[in-house]
Amino acid sequence: MLLTLLFTPLLAALLVPLMPKHAVRQVALVGTLVPLALVIFWLCTHNWFVGPPQGVGVDAAWVEQLGIRFTLGIDGLSMALVTLTAFLGPICVLASYSAITTRIRTYYGWLLVLQAVMTGVFLARDAILFYVMFEFTLVPMFVLISLFGSTNRKAAAIKFFLYTFTGSVLALAGIVYLAWFNTQLPGKLFDGSGSWTFNVAALVNAGQKMSAVQQTWVFFALMAGFAVKVPLFPLHTWLPLAHTEAPTAGSVVLAGVLLKLGTFAMLTLAIPMAPIAAITYAPAIAVLAIIGCIYGGLICWVQTDVKKLVAYSSVAHLGFCVLGMFSFNAAGLQGSVLYMINHGLSTGALFLCIGMMYERYHTRNMAELGGLAIKMPIWASFFVLFTMASVGLPGTNGFVSEFLCVLGAFQAGGNLGAFAGSTGGNLGPFFAFAAGTGMIIGAIYLLYMLGRVCFGPLKEPLGHADHGHGSSHGAAHGSGHAAAHGSDDDHAQHLPADLTGREIGILVPIAVACIFFGVYPKPLMQLIDKPVMNTVQLVESTRKEMPAPKAAPSAPATPATPAKTSTPAHTDPAKHAEVPSAPAAAAAAVQESHS
Amino acid sequence: MNSLSHMLPMLTSLDLSSTLAQGPLPAAMSTITLYHYLFTSAALFCIGLIGFLTRRNLIIMFLCTEMMFQAAGIALIAFSRFHLNHTGETFVIFILTVAAAEAALALALVVLLFRRKESLDASVWTELKG
Amino acid sequence: MIEKLSTLWPEITLLIAATLSMILGVSPSLAIRRLCAPIAAAALVIAGLLAYGDDPRAATVPNLALPHLAQYGKVITAAIGLLLLLLCVGLPDRDYEAKLARGGVFDALRNTRGEFYAFFLFSLTGLMLCAGADDLIWLFLALELVSLPTYIMVAISTSRNRSMEAAVKYFFLGALGAATFLYGFALIYGATGTTYLPKIAEIFQAQYAAGGLSGIAVAGLVLSVIGVCFKIAAVPMHFYTADVYQGAHASVTAFLAFVPKTAGFFALMLLLATVGWASGEATTSGLPQPLHTILWIIAVLTMTAGNVLAVLQNSVKRIFAYSSIAHSGYMLVGLIAGPVVGDGSLQSSGLAAVLFYLVAYGVTNVGVFAVLASLEKRKAGAAAETTDEVDSISDFRGLCSTSPLLGWTLVISCVGLLGLPPLLGFFSKMPLLTSGIRAGEYGLVVVLVINSAIAAYYYLRIASTALLESPDLASSSTVRPVGIPTRPIAGLAAAACVVALSLYTITDFARFGAKYDLPHKQVIPAPSAPSAKEAPAKSPSAPSAPAAQPQANVPGATTTN
Repeated sequence: MLLTLLFTPLLAALLVPLMPKHAVRQVALVGTLVPLALVIFWLCTHNWFVGPPQGVGVDAAWVEQLGIRFTLGIDGLSMALVTLTAFLGPICVLASYSAITTRIRTYYGWLLVLQAVMTGVFLARDAILFYVMFEFTLVPMFVLISLFGSTNRKAAAIKFFLYTFTGSVLALAGIVYLAWFNTQLPGKLFDGSGSWTFNVAALVNAGQKMSAVQQTWVFFALMAGFAVKVPLFPLHTWLPLAHTEAPTAGSVVLAGVLLKLGTFAMLTLAIPMAPIAAITYAPAIAVLAIIGCIYGGLICWVQTDVKKLVAYSSVAHLGFCVLGMFSFNAAGLQGSVLYMINHGLSTGALFLCIGMMYERYHTRNMAELGGLAIKMPIWASFFVLFTMASVGLPGTNGFVSEFLCVLGAFQAGGNLGAFAGSTGGNLGPFFAFAAGTGMIIGAIYLLYMLGRVCFGPLKEPLGHADHGHGSSHGAAHGSGHAAAHGSDDDHAQHLPADLTGREIGILVPIAVACIFFGVYPKPLMQLIDKPVMNTVQLVESTRKEMPAPKAAPSAPATPATPAKTSTPAHTDPAKHAEVPSAPAAAAAAVQESHS
Repeated sequence: MNSLSHMLPMLTSLDLSSTLAQGPLPAAMSTITLYHYLFTSAALFCIGLIGFLTRRNLIIMFLCTEMMFQAAGIALIAFSRFHLNHTGETFVIFILTVAAAEAALALALVVLLFRRKESLDASVWTELKG
Repeated sequence: MIEKLSTLWPEITLLIAATLSMILGVSPSLAIRRLCAPIAAAALVIAGLLAYGDDPRAATVPNLALPHLAQYGKVITAAIGLLLLLLCVGLPDRDYEAKLARGGVFDALRNTRGEFYAFFLFSLTGLMLCAGADDLIWLFLALELVSLPTYIMVAISTSRNRSMEAAVKYFFLGALGAATFLYGFALIYGATGTTYLPKIAEIFQAQYAAGGLSGIAVAGLVLSVIGVCFKIAAVPMHFYTADVYQGAHASVTAFLAFVPKTAGFFALMLLLATVGWASGEATTSGLPQPLHTILWIIAVLTMTAGNVLAVLQNSVKRIFAYSSIAHSGYMLVGLIAGPVVGDGSLQSSGLAAVLFYLVAYGVTNVGVFAVLASLEKRKAGAAAETTDEVDSISDFRGLCSTSPLLGWTLVISCVGLLGLPPLLGFFSKMPLLTSGIRAGEYGLVVVLVINSAIAAYYYLRIASTALLESPDLASSSTVRPVGIPTRPIAGLAAAACVVALSLYTITDFARFGAKYDLPHKQVIPAPSAPSAKEAPAKSPSAPSAPAAQPQANVPGATTTN
């Protein structure tokens, strides 16, 4: 099952270069539809509320000498994100039909590889396998941006690669440190004979036994890798460039899934592996997230490029997602995970809409556009819907998740909170208030964009109008446009003024999903309930009774993880309690853990 | 040959100012210690190094590296006498051989270069820069 | 003496082949002259098989700290030597043979074919000897045997002035390096009274026990390490690298990037094994403090300087020269981390990591330079003979569409060197990371990963130029394949290895090769050993075999006679 999910797109990617040109798209479509069908079938036939199905995991030898295994597993959280990936896959393929006309084998091949690798990230249960997949997403994305992007694509691709690569090698160092720490745990005294394991469950288990200082280092190493991907505020500068330059499908995948790799990794690796550090530094991370919300929003406000605006809005939105995550209570975490899905849907759809508009007008400059609702009513209604979903209008999916994230931050009490019943991390009303400001800014810039692009008097790019029938408006313009445009941009010439059936077909499922999850998010919440509650429990137990962090959350552990059997005698549990406030004790703990 | 155990205490301190060898020596030699030899060899090595770094004439530069080789040779012979075994002297014979091979190689290369540019100055060869 | 010879059959095979090649190379008959390369190949195969088959060394030479290093070193020398040989075929006398074909008269004095293959084999012999050295004199001779032929190979690799210049620079700095480590060897001998490595290790252990290494020993070790840095192109001795790599023909550059570097690392391993890594304590890297500090600084500077300078280059060969410096820096991390006692796992033993990395780097490097050697540039309108080497990055534009095989070889090799998973480069960097962390060298590991990220920039630049840009048709010169089939074959073989090397075999072999026994077979808690992070001695799994019987006379002197 999991292998099918992973290898169908890969197989299709291998087939694509061998296909005649006209069959490439069909192969790509099949390669992405099969996983989607599988996922839907699985969602319907299994009761995910009780937990992931048993025995679907894969565990095979890979690089034995290094202790690296090919371990796959699934839980509600990864199922949700795998579903999102599978859902966006065929949409991306369909969306590229008219936009990509050259080197289509290369394009669809790499798109399929990207699909497979992203699925792999969510399924991997071996930290190195995870890292391999996480890194390898860079290659297809790099190719997609630098071959099929717009003018400044090379710089964008290289910046994208270098930023994320730099971050994730640091994360690798953190993982390796943790794996080493795992080998040092009692019960598996260092015997120098290959007792290294990178099994996520084992590492999570080991991570919770580390002293606060060690956890801090590991936490920051991991966060360095994941925060770049998210991207968290000071590390976000690659994102707008990459988004603006990427082809439409690239942007959709980037916003829809790739950014979620970062938040997913935070939630499943960084936080469980270093809970003490995560709790200690939650306010700092939350501050960065809120700066991202507000700063991203303000930047959006002054953008003239629609695509860049939506790109910056991702920075702002992911800020909410991270804020919710580091609230560490049920509401915040639920909201955060929902946000991952919903942002993937609504922002992905916005990029699709912008791509469709761009194919017609060859500009994304808001100064040159206006009143498109007159010209393209169908397109405009979709655009309005997705913008509203992005703003978080009640009734759309964006509302649920954004509200839950802010609520989570509000409820999260900790040391700062004034509430008796507060739960989770050290956030509080202040954070919620600041995030609320971010929400308002979000509404302002998105509605501002909507107003300029969709409403008001019709304004079309100058060159475009000249090429067509002078000042001709309405549906007839499409053909005129087609005739007037030379062969230099032939891919746009068959497009009518408003959306084609194919394009509508692309947007409708997303629109349905947006509204469905806005009105009735329960199935999704049930799906992610268990992993989220596990994290909540982990945090609670770590915080309340610092000494004994309980067993790892989620992640079907492979049977042979020796660390599980070990007694926690090594790092004296009592140490953990006093460590955060006593550096000396922490240093002592480090000393001891080295022995 | 002294046994190892005999030598150890001396080795750990390696008293450089002691006379060159433990055995009876001619009176004139007794004032020259291992220290003097090592100093000579270190001086030769440093002169060679400085010469190598400051001179630009290919032949002189080569001679400087030879000087550094021979500095090592002097140190080896002095140590050989100090330790009363012949390993160091054997080593020196090998060094001389290698030095001869290097000399042949160096002169061949220098001649090749000279044929092309009619100069022994290293600074006229600046094709490779970056 | 005689039993020692029996461990040298691979080297003897290569020497015989080298002699044969020298003789056959001056034959007036082209058919006979052409035999040189096949003979060299056959010799390498035989030597590899001999070395792989049985290793009598562990039995005949007791007390070695790294008993299997010789076998490992010889086998990888033969294997990668074969790839390098494929690269070099067709290089010597190319212009000269063309002239003969047009009706010139054969003149044995103008012919360099035989010498070239002979020197090629001599240098590899030196590398094999270096891996098996157990004596300072032997080590010195082996290192010189590695280097001296390479100077000549650089000089005769092309007929251009820049090859001459490269050879002279290489020779002079090489001589400086040799003099430096020779002086270091002299001081080590002075401090111990022997040149036999196991004996030196014993005496060093005794000095440890008596309160620390003597100053003269430390000075000797430091000088030796700095001198050997020349071979591995590490920082204080790295100045020649870019010029020499650029000046030599690409095939010879590939040779330079593997053979002297590997020899240097073998030498460093053998030298450092005499002082031991904190008596083999598992959790700390415990070279003696001054050595540790110096190696630490060298490693950091080497990695950083190599990568930063590579970013600034436009010549592909210079980029790979600086990247070769950087890779040496990565390997130094493994060297500092050191081995664990006994058959350490690949992740824990830094030496196994280095040995594995040497192979991975060597193979990937062959892939890169095979592409460089397989292409040549011709100015539009110039005569057919006036070709130039491809060197600037723009020469590779659209290589994947003009000659897909070469293009993809280049892309895969570059991405492999970059260390992107799931290629060989990543799996070889992993053990360096794990062993570095195992040894508590967190700072070094962080520098290493950050440097991998810097390196991503220039590797990506080359790969994306080849893969993503369209060929430059308007340019005044055209880039086209050379027409020597063995070079692309070498490149393809290398690229295939980078993608699908059977990791198990080679990693296992590297682990085997890095087997490390305590110098003294006995743990002596080192009082002067560095590190606040030193662990309390928990009784290691190390054997409690009695100390080796003292040998009063010095065996080293006789072994090389």
